[in-house]
Amino acid sequence: MCLLLSPPPPQVSVINTVDTSHEDMIHDAQMDYYGTRLATCSSDRSVKIFDVRNGGQILIADLRGHEGPVWQVAWAHPMYGNILASCSYDRKVIIWKEENGTWEKTYEYTGHDSSVNSVCWAPHDYGLILACGSSDGAISLLSYTGDGQWEVKKISNAHTIGCNAVSWAPAVVPGSLIEQPSGQKPNYIKRFASGGCDNLVKIWKEEDGQWKEEQKLEAHSDWVRDVAWAPSIGLPTSTIASCSQDGRVFIWTCDDASGNSWSPKLLHKFNDVVWHVSWSITANILAVSGGDNKVTLWKESVDGLWACISDVNKGQGGVSALPEGQQNEQ
Amino acid sequence: MKLKEVDRTAMQAWSPAQQHPIYLATGTSAQQLDATFSTSASLEIFELDLSDPSLNMKSCATFSSSHRYHKLIWGPHSMTSGERVSGVLIAGGENGNVILYDPAKIIAGDAEVIIAQKDKHTGPVRALDVNMFQTNLVASGANESEIYIWDLNNFATPMTPGVKTQPLEDISCIAWNRQVQHILASASPSGRATVWDLRKNEPIIKVSDHNNRMHCSGLAWHPDVATQMVLASEDDRLPVIQMWDLRFASSPLRVLESHTRGILAIAWSMADSELLLSCGKDAKILCSSPNTGEVLYELPTNTQWCFDIQWCPRNPAVLSAASFDGRISIYSIMGGSTDGLRQKQVDQLSSSFGNLDPFGTGQPLPPLQLPQQTVPQSVVLPLKKPPKWIRRPVGASFSFGGKLVTFENAKSQQQPGIQQQQQQEQQRHHVYVSQVVTEKEFLARSNQLQEAVQSEGFVSYCQTKIDTAQADFEKNVWAFLKVNFEEDSRVKYLELLGYRKDDLRKKVNVPGSWACVKCFPDGCIHRVQPKMLTMPRMVEVLLYLWAKDHKQETEDLGSAKKTFNISVSGDVDGLITQALLTGNFESAVDLCLHDNRMADAIILAISGGQELLSRTQEKYFAKMQSKITRLITAVVTKNWKEIVQSCDLQNWREALAAVLTYARPDEFAALCDLLGNRLESEGDSLLQTQACLCYICAGNVEKLVACWTKAQDGNSPLSLQDLIEKVVILRKAVQLSQTVDPNVVGALLAEKMSQYANLLAAQGSIAAALTFLPTNTNQPNIMLLRDRLCRARGELPVGQEALKAPYERQPVPKGRAGPVAEQMQGPQAPAQQYYQQVRIAPTVTTWSNKTPTALPSHPPAGCPSDTQGDNPPPPGFIMPGAVNPNMPPQQVTPSNYSMYSQGGTRAAYPQTYQATQQYSCGTGGPALYQPQQPVVVPASASYTNPAPNTTPPYLPSAPAHSLPSPLYPGQPQPSPTSLNPVCSFPLPLGASFQHGRLGPPATSVAYALPTGPTGTLPATSDLPASQRTGPQNGWNDPPALNRAAKKKKVPDNFLPPVPITSPIMNPLADPQSQVQQPLAPAAPMGAPSFQPPQLPAGPPVLTEGAPGAPIGNAIQHVQALPTEKITKKPIPEEHLILKTTFEALIQRCLLSASDPQTKRKLDDANKRLEFLYDKLREQTLSPTIISGLHNIVKSIETRNYQEGLNIHTHIVSTSNFSETSAFMPVLKVVLTQANKLGV
Repeated sequence: MCLLLSPPPPQVSVINTVDTSHEDMIHDAQMDYYGTRLATCSSDRSVKIFDVRNGGQILIADLRGHEGPVWQVAWAHPMYGNILASCSYDRKVIIWKEENGTWEKTYEYTGHDSSVNSVCWAPHDYGLILACGSSDGAISLLSYTGDGQWEVKKISNAHTIGCNAVSWAPAVVPGSLIEQPSGQKPNYIKRFASGGCDNLVKIWKEEDGQWKEEQKLEAHSDWVRDVAWAPSIGLPTSTIASCSQDGRVFIWTCDDASGNSWSPKLLHKFNDVVWHVSWSITANILAVSGGDNKVTLWKESVDGLWACISDVNKGQGGVSALPEGQQNEQ
Repeated sequence: MKLKEVDRTAMQAWSPAQQHPIYLATGTSAQQLDATFSTSASLEIFELDLSDPSLNMKSCATFSSSHRYHKLIWGPHSMTSGERVSGVLIAGGENGNVILYDPAKIIAGDAEVIIAQKDKHTGPVRALDVNMFQTNLVASGANESEIYIWDLNNFATPMTPGVKTQPLEDISCIAWNRQVQHILASASPSGRATVWDLRKNEPIIKVSDHNNRMHCSGLAWHPDVATQMVLASEDDRLPVIQMWDLRFASSPLRVLESHTRGILAIAWSMADSELLLSCGKDAKILCSSPNTGEVLYELPTNTQWCFDIQWCPRNPAVLSAASFDGRISIYSIMGGSTDGLRQKQVDQLSSSFGNLDPFGTGQPLPPLQLPQQTVPQSVVLPLKKPPKWIRRPVGASFSFGGKLVTFENAKSQQQPGIQQQQQQEQQRHHVYVSQVVTEKEFLARSNQLQEAVQSEGFVSYCQTKIDTAQADFEKNVWAFLKVNFEEDSRVKYLELLGYRKDDLRKKVNVPGSWACVKCFPDGCIHRVQPKMLTMPRMVEVLLYLWAKDHKQETEDLGSAKKTFNISVSGDVDGLITQALLTGNFESAVDLCLHDNRMADAIILAISGGQELLSRTQEKYFAKMQSKITRLITAVVTKNWKEIVQSCDLQNWREALAAVLTYARPDEFAALCDLLGNRLESEGDSLLQTQACLCYICAGNVEKLVACWTKAQDGNSPLSLQDLIEKVVILRKAVQLSQTVDPNVVGALLAEKMSQYANLLAAQGSIAAALTFLPTNTNQPNIMLLRDRLCRARGELPVGQEALKAPYERQPVPKGRAGPVAEQMQGPQAPAQQYYQQVRIAPTVTTWSNKTPTALPSHPPAGCPSDTQGDNPPPPGFIMPGAVNPNMPPQQVTPSNYSMYSQGGTRAAYPQTYQATQQYSCGTGGPALYQPQQPVVVPASASYTNPAPNTTPPYLPSAPAHSLPSPLYPGQPQPSPTSLNPVCSFPLPLGASFQHGRLGPPATSVAYALPTGPTGTLPATSDLPASQRTGPQNGWNDPPALNRAAKKKKVPDNFLPPVPITSPIMNPLADPQSQVQQPLAPAAPMGAPSFQPPQLPAGPPVLTEGAPGAPIGNAIQHVQALPTEKITKKPIPEEHLILKTTFEALIQRCLLSASDPQTKRKLDDANKRLEFLYDKLREQTLSPTIISGLHNIVKSIETRNYQEGLNIHTHIVSTSNFSETSAFMPVLKVVLTQANKLGV
């Protein structure tokens, strides 16, 4: 039997420091599926892609095309090739694609009337579908239809005066814990969560090809800055993390298959706005960014309480030695 | 975009930022009579409910008041203490009264809502403000220069900030400083603003425009810079907002002239100091940057004037505006669609008129043809540039391999100074990749396991596990596992089950004794050692057993031995005797059986031959129903299945022992499994876990996993580690001892193994994860994970596995590509599992030839046929571009559907392109393998990227920086085809230097201000607010003066004035010397690359109202005598022509100018040129400037004003900024006007 001891503090060590050469604030940095490429975006209107394997940093692409600050980037699953989506204050969503080693714009979506704040690719099982949340209050869903075209569905007035974040639910077939390997396309229920300036987290569900508001989760008292649906680890529980201008981070869980009863648990109340939440791939650690510009890691203990297990140092002090064989090429 | 509206003519106040939900209080305006000419008044509170999409505000409470209000504010006083949960609402009334309301009580509907009230003022209270730092302090202003400071904790007696200003005048605005708590400013319609220091109890500075046309309707302190404030003028002749810096209070720092008529109200956003709202009699609501003067946003309004405008403190994107048409509107500055609004209007109309037949005429209304212009543009654009509050400064995202990607942008630094500037220039925008390890014990144990596997030290590994195991069961399991690696494993299993051969032999072999019977106290085979039960011994044992049942008889028999008497009597004995004597064994046995003499029967049967023995055994078993019969039956008949199936599970140990002893190798595993199954399905959880031991004996890994998983909490990494350790060891044992294919991996094991590998990967142990992944499996999740792990390590999946790259790379064709023929075939392409290969380009043939092994890894049979094409693919799964145009999909044989093979491609292009494969994989086709070209930034000529392996050095090019960069310049998008690096790469830097101004500016320019040679940057408007201004630490250390940044021509030696030193009233003994002090705040200071030739040739864009340079003589103390009154020297004769010419020109312009605004500008210019004349008198101007001015005069004489402007530009661009800035902009205004008017 394994002993359930309180976990030792995690070891967080900087293994690579990437100087992006962005000329203004960085707003997002995302690794690709394999963790070998880093995409960054900035108020300098550019999107950059770096090869960061083995602790190095090689600029692969400097993508220009946005006319305002670029807020977020999102990598599509590699089965569709090397595809990156970016969204900007210029009200545009651009989908970039690597062709023959060169990154190019492959699609530009201009259907929003205000800043597009968040982009998120659906689980690859559904095809290429991108959800986009905008300050105009709408959420757009861009689906690649297989003939070089993208189909657009738009949820108008999803969040009054603005949607700040979108995050897809993992692809789980109802009633099945294990992915079915057979050729039959499973009957997925598509869902995603969104957060907005109306202080709400909403859950959207596709029914008969139409997106409908399934749940409205109320707990925050100010703008919801980010939502993150936890990856599936094979359990029937769904989990969403949300963070807000009000400094609060909530963990929402839903145990029933119908997805109707969500209950919030306050992870922590920070003193300042919390900008971003991100789950680890194994869904057991939550990285919380904000509350005075810090990054903290949180883990749920056996008794269901969330505990801060680490502050993340930014490479200044308190960093353990680099692992062997990983050198910064800088 | 309008969010809500309320039909009230009222003053308004938002609830404090701390309040949730957000309320808006409205109090009937004293200035306005609404349409009903009602004189009643009320105080109302509405809730801003943004989850309600309608335009209606939710009314929370109405309180009928006896007062009408000139001013309403809502402060957070006592909110945190809980005394006033919603703070205090403070109203300024008509009769000099200041009234405090408790909004919580208003909302609750209480009758007593007034906390306190005082009518100390002699006239209407038009100005109120709450101190941000001490929220109990409220300043009020009324007529007769009355200003009071109220302490809400002690409301009885107000204080005064000092002696009343003279002459007595109305106080129209009052505002506490946003950085220094004891500084207060007041302003009056006369245009004068006074700054008070409450510590000194006196006014410390007075701010006043020399033209005396200001009619102050608004006053607001800079949210971040302690020394700056704006004043708004209601005068239609001067509809401006002046930005002042108290450090040079002689003239405004900047003048915003966006309104065409008088400004009625202003509001400065606390969330972003770039956002100043103003509304005026031109019916406009503008949002401007006070720091640049740029209008960022114009709210779509009706034609009504707004007299009050307020930012919502809690929701920074929301504002409210009260207009004279009796409406308060709530807007968002983030844009959006106004469809909702129009819908409301339509609804209102239809509810008023009824549908289609408003007047009951019985005639439906004809459809209304709306003229185009009456349909408002439904889309409202957001602010031109993003407000501070949506710019995410920090983030952390997990990625594969337990990596955490973090970035943070340092908060705008608050310590000004040259050092700071350098720091900012050096500030790099870094992203950090960290490895997060949370499961150290898990990793350590995983390493131990790996070592054991590699060194094959299984026995010692198991022994260690046995030694360290805490629980007995755990020890047991490990002991069982260990046995697998030892000789004579079955015997050892038995020993583990508690059966030692020697023990029993000792017991059984006690000679001549029946004591053994005691070993079987209840007839159960508790300590049987079946190995010993060879047939003779078996009989022996059976005899014992039988004897136990018939103890008495046995004893009798024993005594009978003493004599030997062959009885032939007629009884049974006699008959048996007869039969025996005749050799009729069969009859004898029958007789014995009949007489229940079992032992006799069997003994006789042995002599009667094998056949008789078997029959006798059967009969015996049929007759005997003792507890052990079935065991005996099984032993004798070798039917162990029966035992395993029907034994009492409490005796599983014995059953397992029996199986271990007797079962043939070919049935052994099945029997163990069977027993395990039974145990597992038993309700007793203890027994369930024991099933694991059976499975270990059986070597059934899959079952072990299933059983273990069921019994354990499988979610903690250590629990999974517990399982995997056993599984791995058992698999190794199975490989050693059994003929079962060890590579077969069941679905559940695959799941667990990939889960384990995932956990390892999540801790950064990608190599370890790879070693634990089963190698030979077509489980999709394992193949996916293997591929991911390999690539994460920066390798391509190698060897056999590489041929089974788990999914097809599905390229998305370029969006611009037309629907050419082959693309049209896309939808008909066969449906694919995503890990299948659809690419059937000719190269595939090569691959499949080289990699025939790819074929078996075809998708499971359940998937639709590859070649049928009758199943349309899921959208997006088939990228038509990947389909070979030359080969219709229908003709494709399965052999062409090889897995995408990196291995194959590596073989095909072995040396040259290896380095690039990482980037090119999946993009399809032979072209894929072109070597990577240098990546060149398109549309940004100022970047070069000579090689992909080096970080491109950013080479700032001054012309590029000096280009004005409109926010949305509409610059041509680089055509994707132009992205060819060969095209853009050769563009030399020099080219961009020379032609930069002609082409679109580099997109990178806009936010480049804080670094590099910023002195040349005009694009201040693009400077992020956070870097332009920042929170202030104190009154005495203000940050950069943005005035300096705005002027494009800051010279090397320009020194901004010193900050106000405390006390602020210290006379400036020597303004020049102060100016000489090096001072940090100016952003562009000390940029070494600043060179005049890099200055832009374009004319400076100065607002005409902006004054000259912040040079010494422009700094005037407020109490200093105006310079005009000092006796002046005469202008040297040779330069007098300058004065006369300019004055004459201005006069000519004045004569022909028609509109008053131009005249005002010219008047102003005339005055301002006095600076020039002063300099001429002092003879302080450099010869080049003088000669330049004379050239201008010559061009004026020839009426060639354009030439004059050119000379002007030349002077400005080559001269010292501080020398010329006082008069050159004015001169330009004059020249421009002259040119325009053609005088």
